[in-house]
Amino acid sequence: MKRRDFLKGTAVLANAAAFGKFRDGGPQPTPATCPVTLLSVPDYGRDVEKEIAAVMSSDGLALKGKKVLLKPNFVETHPERPINTNPAVIAHVAHACLRLGAAQVVVGEASGHRRDPWFSVLNPGLRAILDKRVKCLDLNHGDATVVPNRGGQTRLPAFYLARPVAEADVVISLPKMKTHHGMGVTLCLKNLFGTLPGIYYGWPKNLLHWNGIKESILDLARTVRVHYNIVDGVVGMEGDGPIMGKAKPVGVLVLSPFSLAADATASRIMGFDPRKVLYLVQAAQFLPGLRPGEVALRGENPRRFATQFDCLDDFKGMRGGPFF
Amino acid sequence: MGTGNGMRYNNSLTMSAIELAPLVRRLTSLIIPGGGVPYYPGGGPSAEPSLLGLLALSACGVPSESAKPLLSWVAGLQNPDGSLGVHPGHRDQGIWLTAPSAVVFHKYGLTGARDSALGFVTSLKSVTVANDPNVRQDNTIVGWPWVRGTFGWVEPTAWSVIALNVCGLGGHARAVEGRRFLLDRQIPSGGWNYGNPGLNDRELLPFWDTTGLALLALGGQPDVGRVRPSLDLLERNQGKIGSLCGLAWAALGLEGYGRNSTEIGRRLSAVMNDQPDDMLNAAHFAAGLIALSGRKVFIS
Repeated sequence: MKRRDFLKGTAVLANAAAFGKFRDGGPQPTPATCPVTLLSVPDYGRDVEKEIAAVMSSDGLALKGKKVLLKPNFVETHPERPINTNPAVIAHVAHACLRLGAAQVVVGEASGHRRDPWFSVLNPGLRAILDKRVKCLDLNHGDATVVPNRGGQTRLPAFYLARPVAEADVVISLPKMKTHHGMGVTLCLKNLFGTLPGIYYGWPKNLLHWNGIKESILDLARTVRVHYNIVDGVVGMEGDGPIMGKAKPVGVLVLSPFSLAADATASRIMGFDPRKVLYLVQAAQFLPGLRPGEVALRGENPRRFATQFDCLDDFKGMRGGPFF
Repeated sequence: MGTGNGMRYNNSLTMSAIELAPLVRRLTSLIIPGGGVPYYPGGGPSAEPSLLGLLALSACGVPSESAKPLLSWVAGLQNPDGSLGVHPGHRDQGIWLTAPSAVVFHKYGLTGARDSALGFVTSLKSVTVANDPNVRQDNTIVGWPWVRGTFGWVEPTAWSVIALNVCGLGGHARAVEGRRFLLDRQIPSGGWNYGNPGLNDRELLPFWDTTGLALLALGGQPDVGRVRPSLDLLERNQGKIGSLCGLAWAALGLEGYGRNSTEIGRRLSAVMNDQPDDMLNAAHFAAGLIALSGRKVFIS
């Protein structure tokens, strides 16, 4: 089904359960089983390490003695556009992990457009604000582990997953809250493209595009283990994202152990109905958290952050709300 | 076996063998016993840093006998069809590395391996698609892909054109079309990124590394005017480039055209000398060494 057709037919598809039973052997969603916490962060200067640690702990994320990999979103760098996860957010989460007793914290990314890791996790500006115990790894240039494709939406039999991702005890996804000119929104699920090394997939990861961006997102969502998600919505990107859009201050971090619940909630904050975002709806076949009834919102009142992201005309059909 | 380390540029960037020696020692210290150079210290051996490492050793005048174990390791990565993989465990992945391998085999006189690699390079074609009015580029031009069966991009196309140029096949129809591809993907105000000059009537940003590499691929062409905006871009931004990767490839691009690269050479040398181990990307370090050697490795 083409995206435009889908948008026209959303009334029929509004209920994710229309796609069938949940699969995967994972937690079966029942109403209000996916905690999502909204943390107010008016600007990047505010230190929220303690608050993040408290939320992760209350969500049951056990980090003591664990190898933790933080996966931010670095695509490319522009002086005026908030394309990437802000370094302050990465640092706060990394330090929160240390606070919770993680044995090792690594910030790793396989940036999608730029080969030069100076524009990604090896940027001196990021390293300067990180505790010396936190390592930064350029996942584009390194070893990979072959993992079978558990999704089957693409024709790819397996993925070459960056070895540090495969070997981490805990993976925490740290995407940016952005619109996407091909998919509508890019959040936690789309962020997993950056777990695949460029030396295998290229810059951009065109093999995934040829196999279908939506299908690749869904396959990676079933294949890559992610234990926690924090969406950087302090300043998001609206309009022609994920590269060419404009800054959209929202002032929120969205935290959840459940990727789809985080994405659905972030979408609602952006003014988009996640049940009109095709890949999110299809992800709901095997992940919980799409429907409002599956999400237990905590922290700040979501009405405080709810807004309307500008978007390309093709995606205006995704708009909805008020949701809160 | 001769290294044929190439003519020297006449510019102020070039460092003497004595000045280069500590940097060469640092590169050779990264070679893993048994062969191969990892991207980062402590990692597994990979093709790209090994290939660029070999070119750097050659450019810096290291005797080919000293490079022989590394060369043997690289030659052992070649597949029967002439392609080269990312490392021995994943030989079918990273076929874009075949082009730089042809340059290495040529420089070290491994003609059989070179010809096999060139055969693969000339047979590998990017997929084309219909032109899109929202994208400022000609999608029907054939270049080279990162991965078989996908679209063409600047870096693998530039490497393939360089390989054909260096190996005396600059007049090959694929090289001619490859240069056309690169010129088409040049951002109008100067530079290249991964391969999209603009979107929806807006230019995208150039990258220093791909700009330098594409300039090298287009080096020696009579119509320098076509790439002047990119040369000007690099020249006027010398002081803004901060990364080892960006400095190395920008320096190579500028010196390939005899442009002023004094500032960039000074910064490159400083960055290479100060590079901490955990940030030391051996492929970028080797590219920096090639730039500082002043040898014409990528332009025939």
